[in-house]
Amino acid sequence: METTASLSLPEPAHAHAHTSSGIENKKLIMWLFLASDCMFFGTLITTHLIYRKLYPSGATEEGILNITQTFNIELTSFSTFILLMSSFLMAIAVSAMHKGELKSFRRNVLGVIFFGFIFLGCQVFEFTEFVHGNPELGVPPMTLSNSVFGSTFFVLTGTHGTHVAIGVLWLIGLFFYSFSGRMTRDSALDVEICGLYWHFVDIVWIIIFTVVYLVEYL
Amino acid sequence: MHAHSLKHIKAVENRRYHTFFNLAIFLAALTGIEIVAIFLPFMRPALLVLLVGCSIIKFFGVIMWFMHLIYDRPLLLWVFITGLAIAIGTVLALMELFVQSDVDVTAHAMMEGMRIEPKAWV
Amino acid sequence: MATDYHEAVACKSQLPHIKSALGLTRPDYTTGIADWLTTVDHKKIGMLYAACALFFFLVGGIEALVIRLQLIIPNNHLISAQLYNQLFTMHGTTMIFLGVMPLSAAFFNYIMPLQIGARDVAFPRLNAFSFWVFLAGALVLNLSWFFQLAETFGWFIPVDGKTDIVPAVGWFAYSPLTSVQFSGVGTDFWLLGIQILGVASLAASFNFIVTIINMRAPGLTMMRLPLFTWMTLVTGVLIIFAFPAITIALLELMFDRFFETNFFHVEKGGQPILWQHLFWIFGHPEVYILILPGMGIISEIIPTASRKPLYGYPLIVFSGAVIGFMGFTVWSHHMFTTGLGKVATAAFSLLTMGIAVPTGVKILNWIGTLWGGRIRFSVPMVFSLGFIWMFMLGGMSGIMHSAAPADAQQQDSYFVVAHFHYVLVGGLLLSLLAGIYYWVPKVFGRMMNQKLGYWVAGMVIVGFNVTFFPMHYLGLAGMPRRTHTYWSGFGWELWNPVATVGAFVLGIGILLCFIDVVRTVIKGKPCGSDPWDARTLEWSLPSPVPAYNFAAMPVVQGRDAWWLHKHEAGEEARLTYEPIDPHGIHMPSQSWWPPFGGLGFLVFGISMCMHGAGVVFAGYGVIVGLSIVVFTILCWALEGPGGYYIKPAALHAEAGAMGETQSSSEFKG
Ligand code: HEM
Ligand SMILES: [Cu+2]
Repeated sequence: METTASLSLPEPAHAHAHTSSGIENKKLIMWLFLASDCMFFGTLITTHLIYRKLYPSGATEEGILNITQTFNIELTSFSTFILLMSSFLMAIAVSAMHKGELKSFRRNVLGVIFFGFIFLGCQVFEFTEFVHGNPELGVPPMTLSNSVFGSTFFVLTGTHGTHVAIGVLWLIGLFFYSFSGRMTRDSALDVEICGLYWHFVDIVWIIIFTVVYLVEYL
Repeated sequence: MHAHSLKHIKAVENRRYHTFFNLAIFLAALTGIEIVAIFLPFMRPALLVLLVGCSIIKFFGVIMWFMHLIYDRPLLLWVFITGLAIAIGTVLALMELFVQSDVDVTAHAMMEGMRIEPKAWV
Repeated sequence: MATDYHEAVACKSQLPHIKSALGLTRPDYTTGIADWLTTVDHKKIGMLYAACALFFFLVGGIEALVIRLQLIIPNNHLISAQLYNQLFTMHGTTMIFLGVMPLSAAFFNYIMPLQIGARDVAFPRLNAFSFWVFLAGALVLNLSWFFQLAETFGWFIPVDGKTDIVPAVGWFAYSPLTSVQFSGVGTDFWLLGIQILGVASLAASFNFIVTIINMRAPGLTMMRLPLFTWMTLVTGVLIIFAFPAITIALLELMFDRFFETNFFHVEKGGQPILWQHLFWIFGHPEVYILILPGMGIISEIIPTASRKPLYGYPLIVFSGAVIGFMGFTVWSHHMFTTGLGKVATAAFSLLTMGIAVPTGVKILNWIGTLWGGRIRFSVPMVFSLGFIWMFMLGGMSGIMHSAAPADAQQQDSYFVVAHFHYVLVGGLLLSLLAGIYYWVPKVFGRMMNQKLGYWVAGMVIVGFNVTFFPMHYLGLAGMPRRTHTYWSGFGWELWNPVATVGAFVLGIGILLCFIDVVRTVIKGKPCGSDPWDARTLEWSLPSPVPAYNFAAMPVVQGRDAWWLHKHEAGEEARLTYEPIDPHGIHMPSQSWWPPFGGLGFLVFGISMCMHGAGVVFAGYGVIVGLSIVVFTILCWALEGPGGYYIKPAALHAEAGAMGETQSSSEFKG
């Protein structure tokens, strides 16, 4: 009995259980989640765009809010670039895990986490700047409640920021987990789905950067 | 998963590294173009097309390569495209349904005692 | 994985105390309450959903009866106008989110994995989590009644002084009624309850979709799937694409109420109409989320009782999918009277008429199935036939709504109430009752009282029509929906009392059915494993179904596999089985984290509402609740899925059950 048990179980029988579609369960559920998240961000972004369309001069109070004056496009461009590069590192980290190279995985994931923090830092800085305005340059404060634009802008970018923060926490978790000795090539799938999430957050930002920021300058 | 030997996986992943690297450079370049574009003083409507075009290319660059859709089974692409299509359809329909003439912007502004400087929405 | 326990046992109560990767004991060996709390078995979770759903059906039913009592005569003041508003709000919300959806989820959970030959759903712990989060959302919504009670005694007074502590804004909660100026804590209870329920529905749907796509038995191609499983899939797809819209709408509303944003604040430029759009972008797919499982159920029962394959299977599948997709393109038909503009109104009008086509196709297919069948008028069949008829009537009034000029007369009148109760009660509820009568024998191995079943069917169908058919007249005679009371002299005095009487007949019918369910569970007459001579794989299993479902994996040889196996000539029509793993069957480990996560959502939801009511320190409760959720996720990930092996001791019993109906030689071989 002992021997048959160990013979029939060279590894957990279910871990790579065959699926009808040939796609791992975890990967499929992640993609379903992302597909659903398209709708989530879709509605949120439209809310912003609808109010931009209805109030070309900004919303009621935005007669005094010059949006391009409030925005700090240099900073946002920088953080956009940072997020793109983090996506690259993430792809490399997933590769590393498939190859079973734990050290390279850790290096790259640390890079992603670092970039994630920079992005979040930029966002916090940007938000405080907007909320305070700049009286010397005549830039009025923009808050959650002083204009429709403020509401939609902060809730949209804030929700995206929350997604980034969750991604960073997830990556930190994976990073520490990699020291537990339980992380092997079999864990590549876990890393990969975290990567999928991270890249998705990146593509959402690609859209936001264009339709919320850049278009204002045209 | 163990169908492929480690050696094979390494060869594949190393090849992908170059793809990923090139893509990263390309995405950065596109972002650069976008940022420069908004400061150009001419051809505003064309620039909008450029911006939208660039972000669509970036979007698909990331989902196809970084997110492995091009290497994975087509079902995953279809799953995502379905969500994306419903979302885009809804977004466009909503954008059409709201028209500026439905709101009385001036009344709002007068209520708040604000000055309005209309600016065309492109 | 080191956390697996590799020695196979005959029954999980024989398991030793195994430690998870976290170092905590896995509750696999448990019995009684701890077992129900920690279970990850899709069958037990299904029963939990069903129990909750039946309970909330009763709650929602009582609310409805009070509403009908208030409307029985003109100028009635049985209850206050505020209570009336709260009752219709909670009735609608309860029936949709806490009655129908969880009862469908119960069937998805219990039946779908059996129909596809799976041992469980793809993510058993996530499945348990969905249930507990659902329960948390249900409690958040309904605990508002207790706070309302406390308010009447003067023990609980919200700072804003508003006394609507139970939601009173209608099930679609139109803005600007929901803003802080116009409604009190009730709106917070509503929005947080629905938000939490949304998390539960989304998690469950992701799980079901993956299960159906990935865990089918060998040979079970998509076009061989039982119809109920197909409809589970389409419903899941609808949920994952429709719920994000309401999630966002609720998020915006929450920000408006808690953080003074301006999404729907008119005076700051917010557009209340945006709420209507976002709500119905979710809301219309939602009505199909409600009905498709019912269509799936009767698509199982009608062929079984007609002893004929479903007529036009591919067409039914296809029209189900088309309905699902088109469901996203018609939402504005709920907003015809808001002035959408000519083009938009015409477009939504046409699309709404269009969506009736695939719906009609399905009805044609069911009738085609009946045609030439050797029909047995079993109780589930009687309900199913009722479904076809009543649902069709509901569809007819739906098409009347779809003509925008006509709808301008009907909008917000009792005519709309008649329409959606015809599809939801005459259609959906009948199919759910059919499902109960059909599958309870599978779940408990006991037969419900058939004679009583016919009485229930009669009372429900007659009571239902007496209640809701007059509402067509009331609506066309101008009676607005959601009226607390009315004066005499409008011609509404006749049909209102009639409807009230009908409602009581309907209510008693449903109550009898539920009582019989409880009686059956305790001491129903035992029945064989396949009392209906049915067609799909779940009936190949013994009743009640053993914990591991299939001792040996079936290899599916065609559509209606079990029927072919029983009644078709030829060797290739037999079901075959994969060899039995001598080591036993791998079972997922139970876990404390799913109920713990549900607790986190409960604390979060209630604390948010209390925060809205101005209770001191409630903000900390919010943080505690969210922390519990985060902590849960962390522990869940670290604990590892685990698992143990079970020896199918019931193997022989199963073989015996098969012998009962047909040969089982290939099974033994
Ligand atoms: C033939 C298919 C159907 C058509 C053409 C149709 C059309 C409509 C229209 C146009 C309305 C808006 C009426 C108004 O408010 O003036 C409506 C309301 C409604 N429909 Fe349907 N419908 C159909 C099937 C269904 C089904 C299958 C369900 C649910 C299972 C359903 C549930 C509802 C509900 C709940 C409402 C009212 C929502 C509310 O105002 O509270 N309908 N329907
Ligand atoms: Cu509708």
